[in-house]
Amino acid sequence: MPLMTNRRRFLQLMGTGAAAGAMPGFVSRAHAATPLTMQAAWINDAEFAGYFAAIDDGFYKNEGLDVTYLSGGPDVIPESSIIAGKADLALTTPDTTIKTIVDQGAPFKIIGAQYQKNPIGIVSLAKTPINSPEELKGKTLAVPPVNVISVEALLAINGIDRSEVNIVPYAYDPTPLLKGEIDASLDFTTNVPFTIEQSGEKAVSFLLYDFGYKTYNDTVVVTEEVLKTKRAELVAWLKASRAGWDANFADTTAYPPKFASTWFAGTGRTIENEVFFNGAQKPLMEHAGGIFTMDAEGIDANIETLGRIGIKATPDMFDTSLLEEIKG
Amino acid sequence: MTRFGDHLATGVLILLLLAAWEVAGQLKLVADGTLPPLSAILLRLAAEWREYWPHVAATLYTASLGFLIGNAVALAAAVSFCLWPVAERIFRGVNIAAFTVPPIAIAPVLVIALDGETARITLAALLVYFPTMTAAMAGLRSADPRAVDLIRAYGGGPLRTLWLLRLRAALPAILSGFQVAAPAAVLGAVLAEFGSGARWGLGTFLLGSLGRAEPDRLWGIGLTATAIAGLGYALSATLAARTTSLNRAVNIGVTGPEPETANEAPLRRALLLAAAILMPLLIWQGMLFWADLSPIIAKTPMGVIDYLITGKTAASAQTRLLAALAETVPITIAGMLLGLGFAFALALLSFAAPLLMRALLPFALVTQTMPLVALTPLAVLIFGRGITVTLVITISVTFFAAFVVLAQGFAMIPKAAFDLVDAYGASTLRKLRLIAIPASRQWLFVAARLALPKALLGVMIAEWLATGKGLGNLLNQSRGYLDYGMIWTVAVVSILLSVLLYQLTPVLEWVGRSDRRDK
Amino acid sequence: MQGLPLQFTNVSKAFSIKGKALPVIDNLSLDCPAGSFTALLGPSGCGKSTLLRLALALENEDSGSLRIGGDSPRSICRSGAVGVAFQDAALLPWRSVEDNIRLPFEVLGRKRPDPEKINGLIELVGLKGFEKARPGELSGGMRQRVAIARALATEPRVLLMDEPFGALDLILRRQMNLELQRIWSAKRPTTLLITHGIDEAVYLADRVIVLSPRPARVLADIPVSFSRPRGAELLRDPAFHHVCDRIAALLDPETSAASAAAEAATLDAAPVDAPAKAGTIA
Repeated sequence: MPLMTNRRRFLQLMGTGAAAGAMPGFVSRAHAATPLTMQAAWINDAEFAGYFAAIDDGFYKNEGLDVTYLSGGPDVIPESSIIAGKADLALTTPDTTIKTIVDQGAPFKIIGAQYQKNPIGIVSLAKTPINSPEELKGKTLAVPPVNVISVEALLAINGIDRSEVNIVPYAYDPTPLLKGEIDASLDFTTNVPFTIEQSGEKAVSFLLYDFGYKTYNDTVVVTEEVLKTKRAELVAWLKASRAGWDANFADTTAYPPKFASTWFAGTGRTIENEVFFNGAQKPLMEHAGGIFTMDAEGIDANIETLGRIGIKATPDMFDTSLLEEIKG
Repeated sequence: MTRFGDHLATGVLILLLLAAWEVAGQLKLVADGTLPPLSAILLRLAAEWREYWPHVAATLYTASLGFLIGNAVALAAAVSFCLWPVAERIFRGVNIAAFTVPPIAIAPVLVIALDGETARITLAALLVYFPTMTAAMAGLRSADPRAVDLIRAYGGGPLRTLWLLRLRAALPAILSGFQVAAPAAVLGAVLAEFGSGARWGLGTFLLGSLGRAEPDRLWGIGLTATAIAGLGYALSATLAARTTSLNRAVNIGVTGPEPETANEAPLRRALLLAAAILMPLLIWQGMLFWADLSPIIAKTPMGVIDYLITGKTAASAQTRLLAALAETVPITIAGMLLGLGFAFALALLSFAAPLLMRALLPFALVTQTMPLVALTPLAVLIFGRGITVTLVITISVTFFAAFVVLAQGFAMIPKAAFDLVDAYGASTLRKLRLIAIPASRQWLFVAARLALPKALLGVMIAEWLATGKGLGNLLNQSRGYLDYGMIWTVAVVSILLSVLLYQLTPVLEWVGRSDRRDK
Repeated sequence: MQGLPLQFTNVSKAFSIKGKALPVIDNLSLDCPAGSFTALLGPSGCGKSTLLRLALALENEDSGSLRIGGDSPRSICRSGAVGVAFQDAALLPWRSVEDNIRLPFEVLGRKRPDPEKINGLIELVGLKGFEKARPGELSGGMRQRVAIARALATEPRVLLMDEPFGALDLILRRQMNLELQRIWSAKRPTTLLITHGIDEAVYLADRVIVLSPRPARVLADIPVSFSRPRGAELLRDPAFHHVCDRIAALLDPETSAASAAAEAATLDAAPVDAPAKAGTIA
C-alpha cells in the first residue's frame, strides 16, 4: 500500500502525472468488474452478515462490482482507511465521523445508515437490573473509552450529574460484570446478553437510543472525492448491500451457519452467538424505506442528539441522493 | 548436587507450583474462579486445537519475521555504534524513541501507513530492536581491554578487533538480548494482530474470544503465545549458558561500561546532542513525506506544535494533556522504582536459590507474553481499579528485561572473585554483598535503562485497560475521535518523558561511582 | 632474521585526568640497538608500561619521536615484526591454547601457520598435552606461558614484554628465564623487558635502565657484561649480586638521590643517548 501511494507521489514529482488518479488496486478477484474496497468497523461477526451474503450470493458481481472487504478491529479507525485511500467506503460511528468533519474539516459524506437505532446500550444482570439511566446513579459502569462521550450525553439528556456514576474502562470482556465487580457495561445489546446467558445468568439491557440518545450506527461514509469519482459504483454498492441484508433477514438463522467455515472461521466466537446477534439486530436496522434509509426525521434526531454533546452536525453532512437513485 | 539432581529438584518445584495453581482454580480461590484450573485450560486447548493452529501459524510467522528483522537491524546498529561511537550519539534519540514509543500509540498509525502484514511485522521488529541493540552494545564494549590492546599491538584495526574479539565476547550478552527479544516479538505480533483487522493470529483469536467471558479460552490463547515465546527464550538461554561458561573471564576484569566523554569540547558535545534530538524529528518528517498521508492522520513535528501550542486547539489540548500527566507521572516514578527493585530481588534470588528461580522462570515468562488485555478481568478483580492495579501491571511490564540483564550480569562475575571469598568460607549472603552486588553494578544501569522507559508504558496500559485515567485513557479516547493531533502529541510526550527517565540513569551511575570512590 | 633497532628520542607523554595534565614520561631518550636485550626497572606507576604502549602504538607520544628500525611503531606493528607479552596473559577464553597462539597470524591477516610450528612453541613453553585446553582450565603460570609462546609465534624482530613472568613462581620463573635467554640468543630479536625483578633483569639483559618515579626519566643506564650463555651458576656469582645491589640502592627511595649522583659520577657507562658506547657492551 504505501508503495502505491509513494509511487503516486514519486510519479507526480517526476511530472508524469499518469498514475495520479489511479486508485491503488487490491488483489482483484476476477473479471472486468470494477473494484471497490470497503472498510468494516469491527472483526467479522453478524454485524456485517448482509455484506457477506451479498459477496457470497453474487449481488455485488451482478452490479458489476468486485468488492474487497477489509475487517476492522480496535486499532482500525475506519475513517482513517478512507482518508488514506486504503478503502473507498467505511462503516463508522456517526459521532466520530461528524466530530471529525466539524473539528478537522475532514471531507466526509454520510451516504447511508446501517442501523436506524444505535445498538449500544447499558447491559446489566437480571438479578441486579438497571433499566433506565436514573438507576445508574451510584453504580459502576464500564464503558469503552471511545464511548464515554455517548454515556455523558445520555446522562445529560436525562438530567443526571456525571459525578453520580462511576465510569471505568471496558475491555470487551464481560467477566467483571458477571463477577459483580461492575454493575453494568456499555456494549452492543445485540451481542453481550447472549454471552451472559451462556454463563447461566440472565441479562437485561436498554438502548441509549430509547432514552434520548438518538443516533444511527455503522453509517456508510465516503470522501467527497470518491463520491465524485465513483458515484455509480457507490449506488451499485448500496443496492447490492441492501439486497444482501434483505436476503439475510428473510431468515435470521439461515446465513450465519453458512459463514461458519468462511467469514466466521477463526474468530473465536460461536455461530449460536452470531444467530442471536443477527436476530437481535433486525429490528434496529429495518426501515420502511429499506435498509440504509436516512429520512428527514432520523437525520434531525442525529443532529439534535449530537448537538447535546457539543458536536454541531448539519444536514449537508448527510447525502441521501444516492439512496434516492436506488429507488428509481 | 548432581546435574540430574538439580533438574529433578527444579521439576518437582515446578510441579508443586502447577499443583497449587490447579487447586486454586478448582476451589475458585482466586477472584471467584476467574483464574481457571490448569487442567480446564489444557483440556479446552486440546479440544480446540484445530481452531488454534491457523492462528498459531500466523502469529509464528509474524513473530519470527519480526524477530529476525528486528535482531538483524539491532545487531547491525550495535556494530556500527561500536565502530563509530559518534553514530551512537547521533542516533541516541532515535534509539530511545524506538524503545519508548508506546505500541498502543503507534499501532493505529502503522496500520494506516503500511499494509496489514507489514504493519504487524514492523511492530514486532520494533519491540525486538532495542533490547537486542542495548545488550549487544554492552557486550561489544565489555570485551577484555587487555585483549583489545593485544590485537591492536599486532596492528589490528577496529574491524579485526570486532571480528576476532568483540563479537565473540558479546555473544552471551547478545543471546541475553534475544531472551528478552523473543517474548517481545510474540507480544508485538499479538498486539498488532489484536487491533489491526487481521483475520488470523492469536491476537485476533483473543479479541473474538474476549466477549465470551470464558477465562479458560483466554488463558489457552495466552499460554499458547507463551509457549511460542518460551521456545525462543529457551533456545537463546541454552545457547547463552553454553557461551557464558566459556566467556567467563579468567581474571578479575576491569571493564568500564562506556567510553568517557569528560574531555570532550563543549561545542562538539552540544552539536552531538542537537543531532540526537533532531535525528528522530528528521526521520519522522521524512517518513511522513514518503508515506504521503493526509494531514488529518499524519501530523508532522510542526503539526504537533501547531496542535499543542500555537493553533486554535492549543488551549483544550494543553488542559487535557496536563490533567493526564498529573495523573500519570507520579505513578510512573513509583512503578519504575518498584519494577527495578523487583527485578533486582529476582536476580538475587536466582543467584542465591538458582533452583527456585529456575522453577519460577516459566511463570515469569507468562507475564511477558500473556496479553494484558486477557488478564485485565483477573487483575481488576484481585487488585481493584486503583493505584494498586496500576503498580502491579507496571511491575509486570517492567521487571522482566531488567531481570534477564541482571541475572546475566551475576553469571558473568569471574570465578576468581568467588573462589577468593569461598576460601574465607563466606556465606551466600556475604558473597552477594561482597562480590555479586558490586560487580553487577554496571549491569544494573543497563537494566535500569531497559526498565525505566517501560514503566511509563505499563502505567499507560493500566490506565487504558483498568483505571480509565491519565495519559493511557487520553490516548485511547483520542483514537476513537480520530484526534490524530492528540495521538501524535501523546506519543511525543510519552517519548520525551521516557527520555527524561532514561537520562536519569547516567545520573544514578554518576552517583554510584562517586559513592564508590569515597570508600 | 635480524633484530631491529628501537629508538626513543626526547619522548614526552602526559595523561589528562579530570582536565588536569599529569606528565608520565618526561623528555626520555633511550636507544636499543638491533639485537640488544634491555631491561627496564623502576618504581611502580613510574610510566614503564606507558613506554611499552608507545612502542606498540597503543598510545601516541605528545612530543619527541619513536622509531623502530627507522619506521613508525604503527607500521612496524602492522608488519608483524613485533611480538608482545603483557603482564596479564590476555588470552581469549573461548579459544584453545593453540588457537590463542595462532591469534597474531589472524590479526595480521597471514595464512595459518604450520601446525608443527605451533606445537613446537607449545613444547618450548612446556605445555605439551595442553594444546586443546581452554585458558579457564589452566593455572596462572600456564596461561602466562601461552602468552609468551604467542609473543614468539610470529618470529618477531622486536620483542616487547611487560612483566611477563610476574605471575609465575620463583622456580618456574628461573626456568622461563633460561628459556627466554635461549630463544633470544637463537633469533636475537631486539628485546625490551619491563620487570620488577632486579635479578631477572640483570640475569637476562645486556643493560638495565633504571627509571625515576613519575614522570619517567632515565636515572641510570647500567651495562651488564656477563658472558653468554649465562647459566644458573651466575645467580650465585658475587659479581652478579654486586650489580643487583647497586640497582637496588638506586631503586630505594631513601638512597636513590645520592646513589644516582654517585652512579653518574663513577659509572663508566655511557650517557643514555650515546648509542655507540652502549652498543659495544652488547
